[in-house]
Order: sequence, then structure tokens, then C-alpha cells
Amino acid sequence: MATLTKTESISPMRERKNLPLAIPASIVLNIATIAMSVLLALNVFDLDEFYALGDTVQYFVGGIALVPAVAAAAAIILLIMKNPNGRFLSLTLHFLGMTASSIYLLHIWGIFAGFDAIAGALYENSAWLWGLVIAYALYWLAGRLNNSKLLSSRIEMVAVGIGMLALIGLLFFGGILEATADILGKYDQLETWVATALMIVFGVVAYGMLMLGEYFGETTDQRTAWQGWLMLSPNIIGFIIFFAGPLLLSLYLSFTDSVGVKEPNFIGLDNYSQALSLQFTTQGEDDQYAQDALDAGYRVLETVTVGDKTTVIGAKDVYFWISLRNTFMFCLMLIPLATIPALVLAVVLNSKIPGMKIYRAAFFLPSVAAVVGIALIWRIALYSSSIGFINYALTEFTRFLNATFGTSFADTEIGWLSDTRYMMFSMVLMAAWQVVGFNMVLFLAGIQGIPNDLYEAAQVDGANQLNQFRFITLPQLRPTTFFVIVTTIINGLQVFNEPFVLFRGAAFPDEVRTAVLNLYLRGFQDILFGYSSALAWMLFAIIFAVTLIQFRLNREKTA
Amino acid sequence: MFKRLLVLVILAALLLPIFAVNAQDEITLRWRTRPDNQAEIDVYQAASDEIDAAWDGVTLQYEPGGSETASYQDVLVTELTGGTAPDVFWIPGTDVARFAKLGLILNLNDLAAQSEGFSKDDFYPQIMEHLSYSLDGSDTLWGLPRDASAFAIYYNEDLFDEAGLDYPAEGWTWEDFRAAGEEITALGGDIKGFGMSNWWAPYGYFINAAGSGFFNEDYTGCGLANENTVVGLETLASLYEDGLAVPYGEDPEPVFHAGNVGMFMNGRWATPGVVANATFGWNVAELPVGPGGPSNWLFWGAYVVNANTEHPQEAWELVMKLTSPEIQGKIAGLGANIPSRVGGSGVEDFLATFSDLGVNNQAFINGLTYGVAENPVWTGDWTGIVTILDSQVASVVGGDLSPQEFADTICAQVDPFFATE
Repeated sequence: MATLTKTESISPMRERKNLPLAIPASIVLNIATIAMSVLLALNVFDLDEFYALGDTVQYFVGGIALVPAVAAAAAIILLIMKNPNGRFLSLTLHFLGMTASSIYLLHIWGIFAGFDAIAGALYENSAWLWGLVIAYALYWLAGRLNNSKLLSSRIEMVAVGIGMLALIGLLFFGGILEATADILGKYDQLETWVATALMIVFGVVAYGMLMLGEYFGETTDQRTAWQGWLMLSPNIIGFIIFFAGPLLLSLYLSFTDSVGVKEPNFIGLDNYSQALSLQFTTQGEDDQYAQDALDAGYRVLETVTVGDKTTVIGAKDVYFWISLRNTFMFCLMLIPLATIPALVLAVVLNSKIPGMKIYRAAFFLPSVAAVVGIALIWRIALYSSSIGFINYALTEFTRFLNATFGTSFADTEIGWLSDTRYMMFSMVLMAAWQVVGFNMVLFLAGIQGIPNDLYEAAQVDGANQLNQFRFITLPQLRPTTFFVIVTTIINGLQVFNEPFVLFRGAAFPDEVRTAVLNLYLRGFQDILFGYSSALAWMLFAIIFAVTLIQFRLNREKTA
Repeated sequence: MFKRLLVLVILAALLLPIFAVNAQDEITLRWRTRPDNQAEIDVYQAASDEIDAAWDGVTLQYEPGGSETASYQDVLVTELTGGTAPDVFWIPGTDVARFAKLGLILNLNDLAAQSEGFSKDDFYPQIMEHLSYSLDGSDTLWGLPRDASAFAIYYNEDLFDEAGLDYPAEGWTWEDFRAAGEEITALGGDIKGFGMSNWWAPYGYFINAAGSGFFNEDYTGCGLANENTVVGLETLASLYEDGLAVPYGEDPEPVFHAGNVGMFMNGRWATPGVVANATFGWNVAELPVGPGGPSNWLFWGAYVVNANTEHPQEAWELVMKLTSPEIQGKIAGLGANIPSRVGGSGVEDFLATFSDLGVNNQAFINGLTYGVAENPVWTGDWTGIVTILDSQVASVVGGDLSPQEFADTICAQVDPFFATE
């Protein structure tokens, strides 16, 4: 009790004589934040054409721009009331202000745009990196010389010296002086000074507020909580601006006729209706072609002939339906090709033979390789019907068979990228090749998580390898298999890279037009942003439904 | 006390520049075009620097557009949407109508009228007809053509020699072309007589040279519902049906480079690649004459001015400078582009390219004279139309649709894309 009384008696909350400078500074900065926020919002409201997104979005964004003002006003009131929440709010605002100013300053300095130059400078002076490697090797060696501490410390000193020298050489010859001069040169612009000043002011005041925990009677739990939220705040703001914001925007645009560059009109569900409209009709005697049987605005999607009767299915947007069909086909073909080989590989590579990690890395490599480079290899070196290696291998194999067994198999030049019968398979093969390594790692982790006791018990019972695999490995891998299949399907439903890179540079054949490729083409080639947004949301609904069904089925099976 | 004073002084010192005035007299113009390779980027950059150095009060920023991962069009559309597009940029000829109708580019007619020495007649008339088009009949100028290009047949002299054939000569016909394709394919192995890509222009040539065309006379509707379309597509489809061509949809360029194709139809932009990769004798010839007469495409793209530019006068001057004979000559000197000006020093520079190799550059110039200019569709949606054409022609070539059915049904499918505008 005595301690409590003492704490209460010295509590800064009740000590009004020494008001910390950080509090009035924070109030001033919050007032400045309100001013900046209101100015920004007024600017947003004042724009004649809000990036061709329409009044609704303009008002919404303007309202969002006022959020910091409201938060800063609340912070001021709470600070005056000596409420600890005022400190948290101010701290968050100042921290975000400092982060935003820092990012803007780095942008002005040209750091983001200069990544290529930095990488180039490092590459050109990569010889100096050897110094760092040698330094690390010496340092590692010194750590292992337990018998001679003197020698160890000498080697450590040499290592540090070489490392420092290599670093200085790398920076000097990599152009650190020029880069510094370039950054200093940016200070002939007003905005550089403003960004620097804001960063320092926000940072200093945030630091001042940070130090006032005792003044506000902060508890350990409170400190842990605000520290967590503070560290998360840039990410949360980023999520709202760069993910949730565009998501909402695309939902709004899907109900408009947006073409991206002029103010959109609200058209309700027209985009959805355009994509989903189908017509079922019968081809009459007067209709020479199936197209003749359809109403204006519809194109032939499919014809079904039963007996003498031909039913014509027409669609307003045939590419929507074609792309859906292609996407599902792609998924159906991808699942076995991306799962079964991955499982087999995982079983084979789950061994302790020396060098096995190299094999695992080799199989995993396609998953992390750049898709553009891969596509060039597949498109020209492998899939070309006349100069590609796959057809070359098939030709040689055919010749071998004919020469060895006296058969007369014809050398069929498969048009992997030109014959409509093989286009889909070509895409699936490339996609499976890329994803098998990743799935293999998942299966490998799953296999290594199976308790050894189960296998030992099975061996005691006389189970052979195949039975162990069938009755232990496979059932135990059910959660992994479920995860692999779900992620493969989700990725498959979003397939874009394979058709885009394999068939780009010319017209995309109907057979390779997948759902995401279709919405990309409608958005950027046809400049129909509203329509492609609607396609995107319909695809989202489909993926969501498919995943939900899978979860349901899995839950029922597990139960 | 001293500490607080110090903090205030530091704060004041840091905030002082906010009230400073940063006078800026120099105008900065950003401009962008789509180069095909680093050599072109270097030439455009050099041209930009040269113009910049000679132009008081204006600073130029050249931005090469397009990369392996971001297409030129995607970036430009995104920037136009966000209001950050350059002052001057290049767009393909087929996009001019759409950009103009959306109000994205400036009508430069008044600025051009005030410019001494400027004449539309200096450029190919087929192009200027499209760049001066307006729906309401008013005087317009949407930009100036950066360059031009035409198709030609790149032929492998070694394969022609091996097949005992004469090289393609001026005025050669579809019959000569087909016969050469048959003879070269008959050499056997992986050799094919012919190769072309599967976008609209190569198959469009067969339709045009047969006497038909994508559009009606005033470009307000479909022009494909006729017998000439059938003839053109039959000729095209038979090349694939009879195995004379690199499969439709497969990139024939690397196959030609590998020496496995006798005749390869492509534009001037393919010449540097052939020069760099071909290890056999080769040259170019004009496209064969079809039943409808000689035909070709006149490909073009234009420098246009962003409707939101703050400096329209300077932007227009930049467009003129970028299309001057000197600059066009420098760019043509790389061998991939043909000047869009009729005659003049730029054309001479072009004709001199690869002269040591004896390349028949004149074949491209000849093609331009009768080429059908890439056509911006003012009363329709070009991308909607061409997407259907690509798909339906692929069906014809693949044997899923007869040329006759194509001709009979295509207009019903593409006409809605005219009606919507």
C-alpha cells in the first residue's frame, strides 16, 4: 500500500508543473496534420475529373483523406484531457507521418528508381565482393581456433580489416561519392527540404511521445499492445491503400461502363448480364448457318446436333464462356500432372543419400525461375515443331524404333503451339513442370512429419514398401494432399502466365484464352475496365465457390 | 531552456525552406516511344539529347516504353488513367481513332496551321488521310507519323538454288509464289516453303490481294462478305492444308533464321534480326501480286500530344522535330524503320542501310506506295473486330470453317462492333 501511495503521489498525470515539451509539440504537429489532411481532401474534392473514376469514388477518397484530420483532432482533445489514448493516437500519426515522409524522401533521392544502377554498380565491381568472402572465411576460421586465442584474435583483426577494405573499395568504386553528390544535388529543390524536414519533425516528436510512457502511467500490457499496432500500422495502411482500396474500386467499376480514361456511368448489372447472356435456339430450315439462327448481338458458342435437330447455343460474349471452359480444362489436366509426379518425387527424394539436397534444389528450381526466360526456352527450343527439341527427340525415337524393330511409324511433327489439339496440353505441361517442384517440397515436409513408429509397426506386421505407402503414407498425407490440390486449383483457375508468354506476339488463339487472360485482354487491349472488373469478380466468385466445395468435401471425409 | 530553444531553432531552420520560392523557368517535356531494342533506345536517346541541346527553354525527357514484363500499351493506358502520361507519345495507327474519340490526344490542326514550313504533303497521303479524319467533318490533325513499314518476302537464296528456282522477280504472282513453296517444301526434311505469323496483317494481305478488304469503302462496316474473300482465304488455307507452310500460330522467325523456310513474310522490322542471325544467302522481294493486283500494308504509328499537356505549343514543336528528315534518317539508319516522309534525305539514308549486303530495300519502298494504310476505325471498335477476325481465320486455316462460310457469316459477327459506336 505504501508503494501505491508513493506512485500515486509522484504520478506525472497529476504533476502539472513540468509539462513535457513533446506534448505541445505533438499538439502543434497534429494541428499541422489536420491542415495537411484538410488541404489534401479539399484538393481531391476540387479536382475536375478524378482520374476518370467518377464522383462516387472522388467523394469516397476525399472522405478517406479526412481520416488523419479526424484522428489528429481526437488526439489533440485526448492529449489535452491527459488521456493515454491521445498519446497512442499521436504516436501512430507521427510515426506514419515519419514513414510516409521517409518513403517520399527516398523517392526524391531516386533510390527506388535507382535500384538498377545500384545493382549494376555492384555487379561491375563484384571483384571487391571477394574481399568480403575472404574476410568471412578468415573470421570463420578464427572462430575455430580454440587452442590459440592470440592467433584467433589476430586473424579476426585481419578479417575485419580485409572486410572493411573490401567494403570501402566496393562503395568507393561503386560510385558512393557520385551517388552522395547526386543526392545532395537534390537539395536544390524545395520538396527535398520539405520531405527531410517533415521526416525529422515527425520523427523527433514521435520519439518525444515515445518517452512519455511513465508520464501517462503506461502499463506493460499497454506498451506491448501499442508497439505491436505501431509496427503493424504501415502494413495495415498499405493493405488498405494497395489491396482493399483497389478491390473495392474494382467492385464499383464492375457496375459502370468505365473505360479508364473518362468518367464512368453507373449501368447496374449490365456488364454481368453481357457476360452471362446465352441464347438457346434451333437451327431452322431457312438458316444456312448456325449463326443465322441467332439474334443480332449473339455469336455461336456451340452447336449440338441430335438426330435432325441442331440446337445452337449463342452467347453475347463467347470469349467469357470459352475462357471459362479453357480454365476448367486447364485445371483438370493440371491437377494430376502437378500432384502425382510431385508425390512420387517427394517419396524418392525423401532419402538420406549424400547429395540429395542438390536433387531437391534442382527440381525446385523451375518454381523460382523467371517465367519470361522459361517461356522463351519452351516456346522456341522445346515446342517449335520444326526446330524444337521435343519433336527432334520424338523423330529420333521413331527412327530408332523403325530401324530396330522394322516398324514403319510415321514421323509426326506435332504442332505444340499451333495445332489446336495440343495447345492446352502444351500450357499444362509447362505449368506442371513449374509447379511440381513446389508441390514436391510440400509433400516432402508432409512425409517427414509422419511418425516413424507407424512404419516400424507396419514392418513388424510384415507390410511391404507398397503397402506402407498405401496404408500409411497416403492417409497420413491427406491434409498435405488437400492443401496441394486446393492451391493447385486456385493457381490453375488464375492461369495467365503460360498462355500469355507462350502465345504472345501474335493473336491469342481461342483455345488458350483463359479467364484471367480474357479479363486482361478486355481490360488493357479493349480498354473496357468496367467490363473486365465484372469478369474479375465473377472469376472470384467461381474460385471462392470451388474452394468452399472442396473444404466441405474434405471436412465430410475427415469426419 | 537552452535545450528547448535549440529544438525550436532546428525546427524553424528545417521548416524555413517551405517558404522559399523555387523559381523554375525551364519547361520539361516528357516523350515516349516504343523501341524494339537497345540500339533503338540509344538512337532515340541521342536524338532527344540533340534536340534538347539546340532548344532553349525546353528540357526533354525521353522514356523508352515497353519491356519484357510490361507492354507499352498497358503502361500507357494506366498512366493516361492516372493522369501521369508523357506530353508526347507514340501510338500504333490503329489506336488513333480510339484515343481521339476518348479525348486523350490533342487536335493539332490549329497549331499546325500556324507553323511555317509544315506541310501534310511531306508524308505518305494514305497515313495523313487517317490522321486528318474527323467524324464531324471538322479540320483535324491528330499527330504525325513516326515512321512507316511494309511487308516483303524474305527469301532463302540457298533453298531457292537447291530447288533450282529463280529468285522472286518484280511482278511475280500467287501462282509463282505457290509453285516456289511447293518446290522448296519438296526438298524434304524440316524444310517449309513459307512462313508467316498469325496476326491480322498477314492474313489481311491475302484478303486484300484477292480484291477484298476488311471494311467497306467508307470504313463504316464490314467489307468481307464477297467472293474475293473466299479466294484469298482458300489460297491461304491451302498453303497450310498442303503442308507448305510453318504451322499457323507458330513463330516462323526463328525457323527462317535456322534456314528451314524458303519464304518468310514479315515487315521491315525483321531485317536486323535476319542480318544478325542468317547464315545463308538471303534477300527480300515485294509481296506476290494477287488476283486483285499488287497489295501490301502500310504500317504506321504516330507521335501524338497528350490532351492534358501543360505545354501544347512546345509539344507540337517536339512532334515536328521528332519527325524531321534528319531524325527520321538517323532512326532509319538502324535498318528497322522506314521514314514516313515521302522522299528526302531520310529515305536516302534508309536505302543505304545494309547496302553492303545487297539487301533490296527498294522492295519495301515500293510496297509502301500501294500499301493499304493501317486503318483506325472511327465508327467501330477495332480490337473487338480484329479479335473475331483472328479467331475465325484461324478456324478457316485449321479446317474447322470453310472460306465460304467465313465470308457468309463474318459480317453478322463483326457488324455489332460497328453499331455500338
